[in-house]
Amino acid sequence: MFILISGGCKNGKSAIAEKIICSGNPGRFYIATMQPFGNEAEIAIKRHREMRAGTHFKTIEKYTDIGEIDLPDKCSVLLECIGNLCANEMFSAGCSSPDEKILRDIKKLTEKTEILVAVTSQVGGDGIIYPKETMKYVESLGRLNSALANTADIVIEAVFGIPVILKGELPECLY
Amino acid sequence: MIFIIGGSYQGKTDFAVNRFGLKTDEITEGSAPYDKLTSAKCIRHFEDFVSSAAGRNEDPLELTGKLLISNPDVIIIMTEIGCGIIPIEKSERIYRELVGKTGCMIAGHAEKVIRITCGIPAVIKGETI
Repeated sequence: MFILISGGCKNGKSAIAEKIICSGNPGRFYIATMQPFGNEAEIAIKRHREMRAGTHFKTIEKYTDIGEIDLPDKCSVLLECIGNLCANEMFSAGCSSPDEKILRDIKKLTEKTEILVAVTSQVGGDGIIYPKETMKYVESLGRLNSALANTADIVIEAVFGIPVILKGELPECLY
Repeated sequence: MIFIIGGSYQGKTDFAVNRFGLKTDEITEGSAPYDKLTSAKCIRHFEDFVSSAAGRNEDPLELTGKLLISNPDVIIIMTEIGCGIIPIEKSERIYRELVGKTGCMIAGHAEKVIRITCGIPAVIKGETI
């Protein structure tokens, strides 16, 4: 089972993702892709850690090449966030086609996991024309999100905390 | 209370006027003084309420909580703004995050949440209209 969760900034994506994973079996892994650059990233990481406190996730910090992660069979994985991962692959690792690479890496993860919930973000919704590099990022993440949604069993958009189903059926734990 | 959301210029106010029979003077701007909002039938541009509270170093979440208690039947209209590139300006980043958090709070409180796209309403919480 592969579930993709999208939505705007501070719209409750993580809370929905955690609810889905925590309604299932133990053996939960959290793949954190955000690099702790600067004060605001540290605050965001701290906030997410507090949200997960008591939920028995084992945290794996991996900023690129998530396909290499060694996971036990049939585990549950929360991957957060594809937006960061895409930026890391492009700007830290210099990958020229991050969408294709991440799609391959996520396919590898879905082969090992019972359930994979991936949180992504939307960056193409402000209509602003940015410098070339940034536009390449907007394009890559847009294409990647579309490709991931195509392979996902369920796609949910978090809208001010409300799970809006875009593909498949709403998981029972979110009723 | 009813919460109407959507992108800019999607017809949120027109929808509220037509669906709920609001008169122009029954719609108050989010930037209006707080005591006007406590008796308003409908508040639009609630994102401006968030930015003006933050500008006064007040907590928009706390103020919104108080407002929802004192005006429990209000119709709130707010623009969704969190689907773009993270702004370079710190104040813009904070504003964008506060609009998201405040929106989650209002949606949690609302009996009905209606999202307007190209003038078309979609009820994403509560009974259909």
